[in-house]
Amino acid sequence: MREHILTVNDLEIQFKLRGKCLNAIRGVSMEMYKGEILAIVGESGSGKSVFTKSFMGLLEQNGHVAGGSVVYYGSDDGEEVDLTSIKKEKDWMKIRGREIAMIMQDPMTSLNPLKTIGAQIMEAVLLHQKVGRGEAKAKTLEYLTDVGIQDPEVRFNQYPHEFSGGMRQRVVIAIAIACKPKILICDEPTTALDVTIQAQILDLIKELRHKYNLSVILITHDLGVVANIADRVAVMYAGDIIEIGTCEEIFYDSRHPYTWALLSSLPQIGVKGTDLFSIAGTPPNLYAEVHGDAFAPRNPRALKIDFVERPPYFQVSPTHKAKTWLLDPRAPKVEPPSVVEKIRNGGLI
Amino acid sequence: MLKYLIKRIMRSFLTLIIILTVVFCLLRLMPIEGYFPNFEKMTPQQIQVGLQEMGLTDPLPVQIVHFFQKLVHGDLGVSRIYRANVPVAEVLSDKLPVSIKLGVLSMITALIIGLPMGALMARFKYRWFDKIGTLFIVCIQAVPAAVYYLFIQLYATKIMGVGLLFQINDPKYWVLPVLSMSLNNIAFYGMWLRRYMVDESNKDYVKLAKAKGMSEGGVMFKHIFRNAFVPLAQYIPTAFLNTVIGSIYIESLYSIPGMGGLLVTVIKRHDNTMVQGIVLLYACVGVVGLLLGDLIMVMLDPRISLGKKEGDR
Repeated sequence: MREHILTVNDLEIQFKLRGKCLNAIRGVSMEMYKGEILAIVGESGSGKSVFTKSFMGLLEQNGHVAGGSVVYYGSDDGEEVDLTSIKKEKDWMKIRGREIAMIMQDPMTSLNPLKTIGAQIMEAVLLHQKVGRGEAKAKTLEYLTDVGIQDPEVRFNQYPHEFSGGMRQRVVIAIAIACKPKILICDEPTTALDVTIQAQILDLIKELRHKYNLSVILITHDLGVVANIADRVAVMYAGDIIEIGTCEEIFYDSRHPYTWALLSSLPQIGVKGTDLFSIAGTPPNLYAEVHGDAFAPRNPRALKIDFVERPPYFQVSPTHKAKTWLLDPRAPKVEPPSVVEKIRNGGLI
Repeated sequence: MLKYLIKRIMRSFLTLIIILTVVFCLLRLMPIEGYFPNFEKMTPQQIQVGLQEMGLTDPLPVQIVHFFQKLVHGDLGVSRIYRANVPVAEVLSDKLPVSIKLGVLSMITALIIGLPMGALMARFKYRWFDKIGTLFIVCIQAVPAAVYYLFIQLYATKIMGVGLLFQINDPKYWVLPVLSMSLNNIAFYGMWLRRYMVDESNKDYVKLAKAKGMSEGGVMFKHIFRNAFVPLAQYIPTAFLNTVIGSIYIESLYSIPGMGGLLVTVIKRHDNTMVQGIVLLYACVGVVGLLLGDLIMVMLDPRISLGKKEGDR
């Protein structure tokens, strides 16, 4: 099959908070292929950001990787690097930017207000590409053009406050691109933007992926965004990827009750005049150990075993797997909610 | 920008004129003893003649006009009591340079020590350097200045082998007063810079800079420091200019012939012309300090532009 660029095995991340231990990521395994756009979806607090931050050593001070490995295959010398074994800042600096770069959620705050955007992009060029200042400036102008900013020469000397939100996000993307990374992590890149700009930014990411051979991890809670851009989708719940598959498989043939619930909550699916679907209950308390399937208490279709034992991955197709006992041969046959059928037929997405 | 500057300077002048007029009028309400060093021994006629000579029998508006006319020619009047019949400008020019030199040296010391201290404390937050720095700041803030000033005078003079009293021409004698005066400012700049830098270091642009692959030190000094320095910078011109006021305590402790306490003294002794002169000086310092502070802010922070009405952010 296609070449891996990153594989995660049984990754566990814990946070120490007020003397207690929070299990933010509970044994996640997944793999990422070169050149794909992998979307990670899930509700707030499901661990999407923490998961990807750990790839860059950017966890908060009180967080640490408690187990598992993240193996990165992309480095130029072809060596495999286990990112979880990196301890020193100095070693992380070889990964950050150069191998894996990140775009953050809020473009209004992610640029330094006192530096010209030219200087901020050039900084990345000078850090990661062995060029002089003159050449770095030329490259910076090129990146500005690449991300769709008009009059790059003029814009080069302007400050972030002279840019609109969408334009700032383009600048942030230019900074990420200027590092020449192999993996680009986009942490909710469109959440803070208005809808018309969202589409433009997504198109830009799609376009740049081809131009710069990027593998993209897209974190979002917007399924519309996912359908628009992703090749594969991982659904995260309570610190675990409970279902992963191609975009079509997740939207048209999902198997996990949580994925069904997520899809049912899409406003586009709702019938006019009826209340929007919402998932009852709250996500589990991650301070305590979670028994069985983390989603079971909120799942009307939960089986007895869901409360006792954690389901393993069941392979649905070579590209699609889900962690639910419903896929066990012994499980009773449970029909997915009508939504799945509706999406399949209606082509709503 | 230039237009704004001119407008701003004109407005400063207006402020000065208003302050001086108010002070001038207030001083006219003072008893007339203040104009004569030997008031008790004078006859009413002598007093009347004296007042007339000084133009104090004229109506108030005329007096004000005269006062400003003289001021334009640089004439601040003559001290009556503090140093009888010596021009105010001369009294000030004897004392000012000493206080300014002392103050400026102590400000420079405070910036040179305080800013790096704050920056390093932020960089090594919760590590030993930060802890020692915090201890120092807490001590300086909690112990009354008078106590450690005395302590320094009593013990450090012995260690340095200098006398208790100040000798203006010996650089060795400058060290302790300058150091004592700067301690409080060192703590001030250290504390606030650390605090602002810690605040800044949690912001998104810092995370992005780190994600870019910059070293922690690089992020600290290329990104965080300048952002944290902006809110401090606007006070620095005022702090420098305020050195003309002198330090009452340090100057009296070491018997330094500076400005410290001069205003209080001349008010107590009803030396009205001296009061006018000193108030003019302080008002100028205040007004110019604010202006320079604003200009520094404009230079450091591109988001602030003077003279434009539309506030973008």
